[in-house]
Amino acid sequence: MGRRVRRARIKRTSLYSFLFFFGLIHAQENLEKSLDSILLDDNIDFAFDDTIFSSPFETEKKSATSHWLDNFTIKISQQLYSQINHHQIPITPTLSIDRKKDLEINRLGTNVRYQNVFAPGWLLQASAQLRLHWAGDYQSEVENKNLEWEFRGNELFLQRSFENQTIKFGRQTVVWGETLGNSVLDVININEFRDFSIIDIEDARLNQWLLVWDFFGDTSNFSSFVNFFPEFNPNPVRGSPFFFEMPFDLTEYDREGDLLFEAGTKWNRSFRGSDVSLMAAYLYENQLSFDTPTEVFQNPKPKVNDFILLGFSFNRALGKLLLNLDIAYSHDVLLGSFNFLSNTSMNSDFSSRTDRLGTSFGFEYAVNNNQSVSIGIQAQKLINIESTPFDNFAGNERKVFGSWLARYSNALSNGNLTLSSTLQGDLKGESLLALLDVTYNLNDKWAISTQIISVSAADISPLFLFAEDVRLGATLSFTF
Amino acid sequence: MSSRQLYGLISLVFFTSFTINICAQEITGLAIMKLVDDTRRQTNNSSFNKMQLSSCKFGVAGGRITCAEKPRVKSLESIAKNYGANLKDTKSVTITIEPPSERGIGMLSFTYDEIGRDNETWLYLSAIGRVKRIASGDSDEETEPASLFGSEFTTEDTETGKLEEYSFKILDETKIASREVWKIEMIPNEERSKKTRYSRQIHYIDKERHVALRSEMYDRYDKEVKRLMASRVELINKVWMARSLTMMNLVTNRLSNMAFVEIYTDVTIDDEFLTQRTLTDVAFRETELEKLRLTLD
Repeated sequence: MGRRVRRARIKRTSLYSFLFFFGLIHAQENLEKSLDSILLDDNIDFAFDDTIFSSPFETEKKSATSHWLDNFTIKISQQLYSQINHHQIPITPTLSIDRKKDLEINRLGTNVRYQNVFAPGWLLQASAQLRLHWAGDYQSEVENKNLEWEFRGNELFLQRSFENQTIKFGRQTVVWGETLGNSVLDVININEFRDFSIIDIEDARLNQWLLVWDFFGDTSNFSSFVNFFPEFNPNPVRGSPFFFEMPFDLTEYDREGDLLFEAGTKWNRSFRGSDVSLMAAYLYENQLSFDTPTEVFQNPKPKVNDFILLGFSFNRALGKLLLNLDIAYSHDVLLGSFNFLSNTSMNSDFSSRTDRLGTSFGFEYAVNNNQSVSIGIQAQKLINIESTPFDNFAGNERKVFGSWLARYSNALSNGNLTLSSTLQGDLKGESLLALLDVTYNLNDKWAISTQIISVSAADISPLFLFAEDVRLGATLSFTF
Repeated sequence: MSSRQLYGLISLVFFTSFTINICAQEITGLAIMKLVDDTRRQTNNSSFNKMQLSSCKFGVAGGRITCAEKPRVKSLESIAKNYGANLKDTKSVTITIEPPSERGIGMLSFTYDEIGRDNETWLYLSAIGRVKRIASGDSDEETEPASLFGSEFTTEDTETGKLEEYSFKILDETKIASREVWKIEMIPNEERSKKTRYSRQIHYIDKERHVALRSEMYDRYDKEVKRLMASRVELINKVWMARSLTMMNLVTNRLSNMAFVEIYTDVTIDDEFLTQRTLTDVAFRETELEKLRLTLD
């Protein structure tokens, strides 16, 4: 009886499938016939109804009075990220950490950007974000809530442009260097790699209070900045993947009335096929270093370190190939200030000062109109190391160290579908982070993207706690 | 997509709209195209344009071709000026106004007529936070036809030069949309055939207004693969122009419409405006554009 019913169901399904596909084919044939009959009929010269595109000409009449809302760009996005590979991380021969499948990010973000040229030569620009952390998100879990929210102001600056000069004051970013993603000169702004949904430095930069003065000459330009309130890379957020529980808390830097400031200037000029820049700056290292607590229940005290940066950057376009080179000389940096971003970067033992010579170089290649590849290598070497009781460390770091970054992107379907991948690793070959992203623009406002991120790391790598992690993420966004 | 390509597209408008004050008997394809080439440079010289580019999949409804989905729309503003010997080099800036996700993306292009000299392009993306030089190749020959802003228009559709590489023939004198037209065939020579995707093109030129009302592009198997249609033909600055161009891809059943919302030529543009400052300095850019708009009003 059951078999007869199943057979009848299969027959019925087959018939429906046949009818469905026949219908599809028939409909397609009809569409092609009707299209052909219109397109190939010389008597129908203007078969296309272009009145559907009349709106731009109507907009022209309306545009005389621009709406105040035009100054806003708003992006709303829902993001989900999970660690999907259940595995063990061996800490000692007898101890290992169990990494379970886990939802890490479940958040709704609203990014608002405001840009208004409110008078000739005057611009006000601001941006901010509001995040709602739903149940399952690490930030709501750590608070033991079903909903946690967070607001952060990003940009807020006033700009005055006149003649051949521009002055900007407020929260903003200054980006130096030519190499994409891992330039040794891109150290003016602080960064926050809060979790694995942020891989690119472009997304991790935080704004600071700066006064920026640009001078545009006939053949070359100067850009100078003063930072009256230098900030430092934020400590990892409790509960985030980069946070590790310790018997003490990392605190913010207490200025105690200290007057800190940073200043720098850049000169740049474009030549035939090349851009060249020279820069000099007095800066504080973005990553704080901490004294080891001497007493129980005492929190480590953060320390700041100032240094001098001298830089040179250069690019050269050769057909579809663009070569990039950045060179940075840093004077009086702390010996142990290059650790992985997390609260494991306790480096008080390595407080000796040293100089550092760094370079990042690479190329970008336009394979064709839709595909591009970029590769960048960052290499640094400590020089003039003061003698230190920690010669093992210093000896190790006397070698060249650094990282590499490779990016590939391919725009398909008239740019509606974008495939991109990022590979990051260190020069010693101890870790590899691989990201694959697929983004599909559903229309002018809606986009959906999925990412898969895999981490491989040796036991001695700072990333070893993430070894074999695989994260799968999806983001749905609406921009208007 | 570079500003050079964009200006190729603008040239296409003028290609469809050149004025020829010579009688029918004297018209040859080559003569027509030389006029087009000259007009192209005139249109780039000190020009300010606002465009809207709409793309969609098309279908048939009520016996007419129409969009089968809501069109994707991009709004652009561009400014260009010619330089160099015989004004054959062009500097141009193009800014994306819409969609919101691409708002503010700017491109500065220097295109050089000199053989072997690479064109130069800089892009400003707020995500990168700085102006970035783009490696874009040096000449049309090295570059495969590119989609313009993800539309059905390609760089090849916008080319008007290299006339010696084509032969032209007036096939017929007929009527389209009640307008008298010449039907002109354009066939690439052997050298050009290696670079083009089209084995031949046919243009229908309005006899009175000298506007191409329709163009057909055929592949190597002589199958029509694309069709361009013009509408909203208007006299602008003493030149007849089609302000609405629709390119239909007959293979993918997608179409794109380029609407020239505002077109101004012979406007006064400071050299300083065509520099990298315009990409990053929004206050400067908008202030200068506002001054420009006031002079146009």
